[in-house]
Parts: sequence; C-alpha cells; structure tokens
Amino acid sequence: MRNYAWLFAPALVILLIVGVVPIFPLVNYSVQTPFQEVNKFVGLTHYKKMYSDSRWINALQRTLLFSVIVLAIEIPLGLVLAYFFHRPGVLNSVASAAIILPALFPYVSIGLMWRLMTSTVGPLGKLLNMMGIEYNIAINATQAFATIIIMDIWHWTSLVFLVLSASFAAMDPTPIMAARTEGATRWQIFRYIQLPNLTFPILFVILLRFIDALKIFDEAYVLTSGGPGFSTEFATQYIRNVALEQWNFGYGSALSLVYLFMIIILCLIIMNVLTRGKGVI
Amino acid sequence: MSKLSAKNVLAFIAVALIVVVFAFPIYYTVVTSLSSKTFISQGSIVPDMYLGNWRDLFTLPRWYNAIRNSIIIAAGCVGVGLVLSIPAAYVFARIKFGGDRHFFFWLLTNRMAPPVALSIAYLIMFKSMGIWDTHYGAILAYQVFNIPIAIWLLASFIVSIPREIDYAAFLDGYSLWTYFRKILLPALRPGIAVTAFFIWMYSWNEMFMASVITSANAKTLTAELLTTVGRLGWGIEYGVAAAGAVVTLIPGLILLYWARRYLIRGFTFGRL
Repeated sequence: MRNYAWLFAPALVILLIVGVVPIFPLVNYSVQTPFQEVNKFVGLTHYKKMYSDSRWINALQRTLLFSVIVLAIEIPLGLVLAYFFHRPGVLNSVASAAIILPALFPYVSIGLMWRLMTSTVGPLGKLLNMMGIEYNIAINATQAFATIIIMDIWHWTSLVFLVLSASFAAMDPTPIMAARTEGATRWQIFRYIQLPNLTFPILFVILLRFIDALKIFDEAYVLTSGGPGFSTEFATQYIRNVALEQWNFGYGSALSLVYLFMIIILCLIIMNVLTRGKGVI
Repeated sequence: MSKLSAKNVLAFIAVALIVVVFAFPIYYTVVTSLSSKTFISQGSIVPDMYLGNWRDLFTLPRWYNAIRNSIIIAAGCVGVGLVLSIPAAYVFARIKFGGDRHFFFWLLTNRMAPPVALSIAYLIMFKSMGIWDTHYGAILAYQVFNIPIAIWLLASFIVSIPREIDYAAFLDGYSLWTYFRKILLPALRPGIAVTAFFIWMYSWNEMFMASVITSANAKTLTAELLTTVGRLGWGIEYGVAAAGAVVTLIPGLILLYWARRYLIRGFTFGRL
C-alpha cells in the first residue's frame, strides 16, 4: 500500500490560509489603533473597553436572549412537525418540502421577503393594522424584535425539521410495532421509544442552531438595520458597525476575536455534552 | 371509513396551512417583482404583470454584473473546492489517524466562525495580496466553509466504496492518478454532483463576506441586495430588489428538487 497522505496537503494549506492565518492580523490590530491619525500600541485597552461599552453589552445580551427564545420555539415546533410529517406519502412530502424550503435560500433574501411582507403596505403589516394592532417595526422596538424572532422561526424550523424527520424515518420500526400490539398509546410510544432515539439528533441540531443564532446578521440587518435606534442590534451587527462603519479597526478586531472565542468555547461545551459516553464526534 | 376520511380532511387542511405559511412570503416576493410602483405602494397581493423590474434586473449594469459575479464566483468555488477536496476526502475516508476528533472540531469551527471576524481579517489580507474586490479573492475566502463541508460530504460517499477495489487496483500496478481517473472518480460521480450542488448553494447564498471583500468589480448578487436595502429611500427600488431576490432563490429550489435525499448530509456534515 503506497502512502498517499500528502493528497491532503493542498486543502490543508488553503484552509490554514483562510481559517487560521486571519487570526494573526486580528490579534495584531486589536492592540493598536490602525487607520487612525496616529497608529499606536494601546495594549489591552480595547479589551477592557468592552466591559463598559453598554451598546456592546446590550447587543450581546440581546443576541443571547434571541438565541434562547428561537431555540425554545424552533426545537419543539420542528419536533412536532417531524413527528407528523416524516412518513412517506404525497401530502407529507408536500408539507416537508414547504417546511424545508427556507433553509435553502440566502439569508439576505429571507430578510428582504420579510421586509416586503411587514412594511406598512405589505400584507402582514396591513393585516395586523386592519385587526386594530398598530404595527410598524420602524417605530415600535418590541414589535421589531418580535418580528425578527418570527422570521427566524419561519426560516430555521426547517433545519430542525430536516434533521428530526430523517431521524424519525431511520428508526427501527420493530419495537414500535411490538409496543403497538401490546396496546401502548401513541404518547407512550413517542415518549419511551422514539424520543430516547432522538437524543443525539436533538442535541446536534441544538448545537447547529444555537451557533447560527448567535451569528445572526443578514436577515435582521435587512429587516430592521438594528433599529429603531439600536433596539434590535445584534452582536455581529455592532462589531461590523465598529470595524467597517466607524472604522475603529482596533476595537472591531478585539470585539470579533472575543466573539469568535465565545462561540468556540460554547461549541466545545455543547460538543462535550454531545459526545459524553458516545464519542461520535 | 367516514372516520378515516375526516382524518384525511384534517391532514389536508394542516398541510394546506403549512404550505400557505411557508410559501406566501415567496409568493409575495414574486408578486412584488411583477408589480409596478403604484401597485406595490397599494400593497396588492396580485401583480399587475409589470415587467419593468425584470427588464431593469437584466439591463442595469449593477444588477446584471452582480448576477454574473455570483455565477462566476459560485462556479469557481465548485471547481476549486472539488479539486482540493476530492483528494483530501479520499485520505480522510481511508486513513484513520489519532487526532480525528480534534480535526473534525477544527473543521467545524471554520464553519462556525462568525463571518464578521474573518471578513475584517480578509479585508486587510486581500488588500495586501492584491486580490481584494476580485473573483479570486471571493473564491479563496469561500473555501473556509466550502472545504470542510466538501471533505465531509465526499468522505461519506467514499467510505461506501469498498477498500478491496483500491487494493486490487494498486496490485494491478495502477498509479494513484490512474486509480483516481479510472476507478474513484467514476464511482464517486453522485457524491461529486451532490457536493458541487452544496458548494454552489453555500457560495451563492453567502452575503456577509461578499459585502466586505468585494466592491465595484466583483460584488455578488446577495451583496448588491444589501447595498440596495442600505440605500436611502430604497422603497422606490422594491420591485427590482424583489426580482433580484427571486433570482437568488433559484439554486435552492433546484437543490430541493434534485438532491432532496442528500439535504441532511449537506446541513449536518454527514454526522447523522
């Protein structure tokens, strides 16, 4: 058998260039004030600044709150939909195609669709106004935040559904049929046979969704641009604003590094929960 | 029998409701793209079949260039991504090595890294390399999420090709190159097609990096949509933006139709 491990090298080199090398300029800039009148070494000033930057802390808390809310809704909703629509059949495939569809679209287009839908002349905005609710996400911060949550649920229940319906379909039918002949109720079958088999897929989809939710940018930015005021500004939006609009590159680099490591640590924690006693990942 | 049909009616209503909820925003975007300004401002949910938005999309340089750039970059990503990933996936599927788990985690972090962090660094790196605002730059940058997913997808197809075929080929004196060309690539054809679709979709859909590392010359369709939305008083451009958005949906629709049974692998690294 010849040695062909070197075939890995080209992909590895490119991955290092785009995946690891970028860390160095970020670290470098995070301790300086680049692209300003005087570029000087400022040490850890940028990192200390984060603790007292209320706009950052608000954005961070808002992102966490958002992630927890959407996960708390999307996971059970995806599970219920998967339970009902995982079997083959025309109706089921129509339903699952419709549910999965949003996952395949660019986030920016999803934001655009929802902006069209929820503008004051859009169907959703009009409907709510007709029902007597004064709906205007350009003015009302609570409505804007709620609309982003609903948009995210519309967008990403798809992924939960995709993963869980495949897991339902892949289950061994024998124990289920045996339980049915023994007279078990549907709930008992779900609770004691199907749900235990779904532990790993559910945790995995929580990992995927949680990290994606923390990275929310495109749709929310297109829908509300962080407004009204900064009331719907998420962490990545603030970092982008600092680095690429205020052009405070040093602070922006520091923020993005901190955010990157927060996500990696979170990822590690969830992965460890996932692999406990399994070693699958 | 009557009980069964009552249940069927209920199921039908539930499915119809789901289809309406998920398809209506898409329908309304199509309607907006086919409506004149007055129709849009009246909030009509039927179009007046005004084709001006679509004409603008294909005649205004900033729009058709954006579509062209998106196609070039996505196609480039498919080519580069496959050339890099097929050999790597072969090694990954055939050789077991110690740091397997850590390597998977590293690949995952590449995909999980917030694009804002990478984009800021790319802006500096690419400007000094002279590939900022070029198709090359975007194709290079997109490898950060394309290579991991491509290696994983391809490896999941390669493991289903029996190892014995490899041994037989090498015993017959095949060089690595002949083995790839005559045995592996033909056997891997479905895997390559599915991977190509996913690379295309992820590259085509990407917006954040594109908005930072491309500008006048190589701006993609998704980045152009963002620019349009950011423009003051963009309401007047609702129609053409909606038409642009409809175009962005096409690869996803094709993927859903053509590679539906592989969707799960493409979204979960083939880990389930």
